[in-house]
Amino acid sequence: MLESLQYLLTGFGVATTPENLFYCLMGAIVGTLVGILPGLGPIAGIALLIPATFNLNATSAIIMLAGIYYGAMYGGSTTSILINVPGETASVMTCIDGYQMARKGRAGPALAICAIGSFVAGTIAIFGLVFLAPPLADAALAFGPPEFFSLMVFGFVVLSNVTGGSLLKALMMAIVGLIIGTIGIDPVSGDPRFTFASTALLGGIEFVAVAIGLFGIAEVLKNVEQPIEQLEQAVLVPRLRELFPSLRDLKDSLWPILRGTGLGFGIGLVPGPAPVIATYASYMVEKRLAAHPEEFGQGAIQGVAGPESANNAACQSAFIPLFVLGIPFAPPTAILLGAFLIHGVTPGPGLIGEHPELFWGVIASMYVGNFILLLLNLPFVPLFANILRVPKKVLLPLVILFCFTGMYTVNNAVFDIWTMLAFGALGWLMRHWAYEAAPLLLALVLGPKLEVAFRQSLMISHGDFGIFLSRPVSLAFLLATLLFLAMPLARKLFGVGRARADGGAAA
Amino acid sequence: MRSKDAVGGVVMLLFGVLTGALSLQLPLGTFRAPGSGLFPFALGALLALLAVLYLNSLRRRGSEAAQPAPAHWLPPLGRMPAFLAAIVAATALFVPLGFPVTAFVLMAALLRILGMKRWGAVLAISLGTALASYVLFDRWLQIPLPKGWIGL
Repeated sequence: MLESLQYLLTGFGVATTPENLFYCLMGAIVGTLVGILPGLGPIAGIALLIPATFNLNATSAIIMLAGIYYGAMYGGSTTSILINVPGETASVMTCIDGYQMARKGRAGPALAICAIGSFVAGTIAIFGLVFLAPPLADAALAFGPPEFFSLMVFGFVVLSNVTGGSLLKALMMAIVGLIIGTIGIDPVSGDPRFTFASTALLGGIEFVAVAIGLFGIAEVLKNVEQPIEQLEQAVLVPRLRELFPSLRDLKDSLWPILRGTGLGFGIGLVPGPAPVIATYASYMVEKRLAAHPEEFGQGAIQGVAGPESANNAACQSAFIPLFVLGIPFAPPTAILLGAFLIHGVTPGPGLIGEHPELFWGVIASMYVGNFILLLLNLPFVPLFANILRVPKKVLLPLVILFCFTGMYTVNNAVFDIWTMLAFGALGWLMRHWAYEAAPLLLALVLGPKLEVAFRQSLMISHGDFGIFLSRPVSLAFLLATLLFLAMPLARKLFGVGRARADGGAAA
Repeated sequence: MRSKDAVGGVVMLLFGVLTGALSLQLPLGTFRAPGSGLFPFALGALLALLAVLYLNSLRRRGSEAAQPAPAHWLPPLGRMPAFLAAIVAATALFVPLGFPVTAFVLMAALLRILGMKRWGAVLAISLGTALASYVLFDRWLQIPLPKGWIGL
């Protein structure tokens, strides 16, 4: 424990060099921007900024890209409160009471509580990360291919089960992602697969193109299909002196912030779109515990403080599986995994030992980043909020131009732009058909790892599938997977939850 | 049965079958030494199986109770086709035209499609954006972008 603190201090040495401070600030600003802009979330934001990190060392690159992820959690709430549209998916719950507060002239305190709650939650969660990551990494060092295979299968099934829609559809999306991931050179034998004699496909489908297509282009297309008059919205930008919450606001928010932090941290460790689930869970908990539950939906500050803290805590603790297992459990960390690999660093149980300056530097930078974000999102929030005044008919073409150019710069290849457009159109159709994009992207990134683990396991056991069942850790993950698969089935058998399943499919 | 769900299910089924069939052209190997076709073949088969289960669940749900008016399998299109066509054209012309010109033309086209009526505003915004992004990407970040026939 003391050792961790010592390492953390060295990490601060890395994080506070002028260069890294600059990239941390850039990450925080870009994160706040993509958080505020509806239609551009942390996934597309990180993917678009990867090319800008090519000339950096791995530590600075990850510091900046990680900053975009947690920065977006701050920015997203601004849009929810001011125009009742979530800036990114993890601020959906904030719309409910945040916008009501704004309508009653209390946009300032709502924004301030978001920033304060996010800061408290982020800071506490990083503390948890510092103490939980090293022992978990030690435990995971004993994992072999069968354990990783079972863990990844578990991750897919849990993710598919919690995204809200139909489990079957989500599982199909995960498999489609795995299939797309097999395009290119086979990682074990070196044979080309599904390349149709095209050299552009030999290297596989560029995951950045899939990410920007599914999460950037598709969102823009979704907006374009609506009548243009519906796109524009009135924005109420508060002035600086209106920002201060009253003492009562702070008192009302204290426990929701702390409970949201705890909930979010726990949920971040589990596979799934953690920040989104955490906000939902926190809102429900606060509503149940509230002295005046009838105020929820009418502008209760607890309904803003809890979820906004929960999404930040979840976002920070979601770094734990990425760092210590090398397995991202949700799309934003999946993109970060891609960024790690581009910079020649493989996250996993060995990361802390092999790249201590990177691991501790990035963690220390999160403290710095949270502090920067508090500054950006308190005094400067009126400035950022002005971006929402840019009409959508100007904003959408700008987003397209940025995606277009950003995509080209990844590999200097027009082919990647075509891939991005194809996945943009696909993502747009998938939304209409109510298919989740998250399992597809995650499966695409993890697919090669999953296949290698699968084939290595079979080689170790000489073709005996029993290897997945005879190793206790692997067996435990598979049993947990079975349990998750059996849950909806059991619900169906006993006739409960039918309405929920139908509602989920229509949503 | 709701038509958009059914179309989605059939697409999944076809994709699974296609993947399985294409994988058979690759060496499957044995379980002891899996070849490069084994994993994709298993995925294709699994996808087809899940799609059949899904279609079956739709059929059962459909026969149980009268469904509301079926949602069309395509979303309402609006300005989408024109918008997408402009981006496709820009992609095709990116290398011959070069970055600054493509950026200008793409911006102007998208602004018009989204209903910006005044040509002056369209041209001003497009020109400003093209110049700013050229300075940012080419001059400042020094990212090699296609120069095209004007050689910028």
